[in-house]
Amino acid sequence: MTNPENAVEGGHPDIPSWMLWWSRVRTQWQDLVVGYGMILPSLVVFLVFYYGPALFLLYIAFFHWNIFSNYSTFVGLHNFSVLLHQPIFWQSLLNTAYYVVLVVPVTTLLALALALGLRQAWSLKGGGVSQALVFLPHVTPVVATSIIWVWIFDPNFGLANAVLHALHLPQLGWLSSVHWALPAVMIYTVWHSVGLYTILFLAGLSTLPKQVLEAAQLDGARGWLAFRRIILPLIGPITFFVVVLATITTMQTFSQIYTLTGGPHGGAGGPAFSTTTDSLLIYQTAFLYDHFSLGSAMSLVLFILILAVTLIQKFVADRMVFYR
Amino acid sequence: MIYGLLKGFLRAFFIVVAYGAMYCHRKGLDMAAIRLQAIHKSFGSTKVLHGVDMEVRNGEFVVVVGPSGCGKSTLLRIVAGLESPTAGNLWFGDRNMTRAGAPERNIGMVFQNYALYPHMTVYDNLSFGLKAHKVSRGEMDKRVQNVASLLEIEHLLRSKPSALSGGQRQRVAVGRALVRNPYAFLMDEPLSNLDALLRDRMRVELRHLHERLRIPTVYVTHDQTEAMTMADRLVVMKDGNILQVGTPEEVYHGPQNTFVAQFLGSPPMNLLSVRRVADLRVAVDGSQDESIAVPPRILAGWPRDLTDLWLGFRPERVTLKGNGSTGLELTVGIRTIETLGSRYHVHGTWGNIEITWVTTEGTNLALGRQVQLTVPWDDVHWFERHSGQRIQEEPREAVRLESGNVV
Repeated sequence: MTNPENAVEGGHPDIPSWMLWWSRVRTQWQDLVVGYGMILPSLVVFLVFYYGPALFLLYIAFFHWNIFSNYSTFVGLHNFSVLLHQPIFWQSLLNTAYYVVLVVPVTTLLALALALGLRQAWSLKGGGVSQALVFLPHVTPVVATSIIWVWIFDPNFGLANAVLHALHLPQLGWLSSVHWALPAVMIYTVWHSVGLYTILFLAGLSTLPKQVLEAAQLDGARGWLAFRRIILPLIGPITFFVVVLATITTMQTFSQIYTLTGGPHGGAGGPAFSTTTDSLLIYQTAFLYDHFSLGSAMSLVLFILILAVTLIQKFVADRMVFYR
Repeated sequence: MIYGLLKGFLRAFFIVVAYGAMYCHRKGLDMAAIRLQAIHKSFGSTKVLHGVDMEVRNGEFVVVVGPSGCGKSTLLRIVAGLESPTAGNLWFGDRNMTRAGAPERNIGMVFQNYALYPHMTVYDNLSFGLKAHKVSRGEMDKRVQNVASLLEIEHLLRSKPSALSGGQRQRVAVGRALVRNPYAFLMDEPLSNLDALLRDRMRVELRHLHERLRIPTVYVTHDQTEAMTMADRLVVMKDGNILQVGTPEEVYHGPQNTFVAQFLGSPPMNLLSVRRVADLRVAVDGSQDESIAVPPRILAGWPRDLTDLWLGFRPERVTLKGNGSTGLELTVGIRTIETLGSRYHVHGTWGNIEITWVTTEGTNLALGRQVQLTVPWDDVHWFERHSGQRIQEEPREAVRLESGNVV
């Protein structure tokens, strides 16, 4: 194969310049066709099943739209104003906020602690196995393990209350209690997702420059001081990534709430709407009560909220995180 | 009477105290600042150090030199407390530090890649160790300023390491090790990331710093120029063993084996494999000449069964024949001439043997020309062929004794 770029730079006297130009254009076109040809299959799937519905959602959020009728009417911001007057909408936002504010820090801190511990254990026998064990819950299907956790949270025969009993603590109603249903979901979520963030932190810790840590040791820093002043700032970027990822994921949590609090038997989001988060409310509004337009408006609100939170996090991180 | 008694007691007391102080002082002087005793280190089944004994005296600059993988960095990391030895003991003065953790040792270390804290300013880099030791704010400020002015990095205190040049980072790294007023300095190839010109300058500056502060220093390098120019004493290592310890002169002029002989010196020592064919004659493998007569004073004391030898001489000890001195005579055809400005490295062949020599006179040099060379017998080194160990000749030993340090 000829390399036209070299030929042009070389200024070969026997080949006319327009030929070189044409061969270059042809190569560029070939690259373009081959490149896009390669990504076309996944691009089509992505456009049809991802961006398509998203754009359609944007459309119906401003219309009165019904899945069973052929026409729709433009209603402007009507759907949003309806939303703002629904107490359950505000309740769901509050539930989500409660859920996110507890789950994200707990998951992040637990993952960091586990990663630090596992890093120490890596050289020991069984270090690899414990790492796999921590990651294992994350690869299990949410619905299947949620059903197991329904049993664990069973007020009469469940493991959770057995543990409380063994610790001489009062028994709880868990999923049937208005106060403890959402925390029960949180416990499940932490259990399920901490493995992923642990792996991310482990990856971040493994990139720490070894000699910098050794220099800190020689400087007399150990334990908390070394962690606070050296390790934590250096894994800032990965911490930021973990916090953003965890926030986005938990703000959209659906499967485990649906399965743990109702599942196939109906009544998800209870008791008394105490576990009705925004995703659950969107699902119920759209697919249970057929208010697709209202559900779309809610999705749009959720999207804007997630975007806002992420931007705030980025704003904070840009001032606090050190990038090597 | 009581007054007299009191005076007597006081006098006796002072004498005891004075002698005691003198004794302690002497003991302190005699005692090595750092002493390694039969240090072994293995990583899994790989043995890295095979029982290393070494000491660094007070105020001494010791350079550990050897090819990569010889265990010199591991040795340094054991002294720092970053690795623990598999067996053996490490002493700082009369304190056994073998099991002490790195934070307790008060060691200042300069790493090859500097290992500055990338997220901190130069000031914070320097003061971090002081903070860890809970030094007061004012004292910290004073000490950082002192070290910064000593190393001429005052104007950089507000910058982050990423904004500094290689040489400036090097200074900060030295400053960070220095600011805690460490018990000892350890340097792990600190100059190898600098360009040649800067390396030459920093070499002199580091040595100059040592003259001023006299902190016991262990300096690890594979660069023989650094080793020769900076060391009070040299430690040559290979494959986890110490081959020779001595001042640069001792090691250079009296290499204990062929490895040391060839490792130090550029171009390296010429080594010819020779056999003793008669009492006072040796034949050189690969040369056309019959055999060479060796002065009886050299061969006299050697055992008769010592026949297979290496004959070595330094390229700069070779002279052109005709200026009176007697010695090993060679007729060499010139193959290559390297011009270095002040001198020439000439490569040639004597029969099939490649010979390199250094000369400052370039007028007679021409490719293909045959030249007559002489190496004075006193500058010829003899080694046993199989072990590579030096065969000691009596007069040299006496010279070395005069220089004070016998190793």
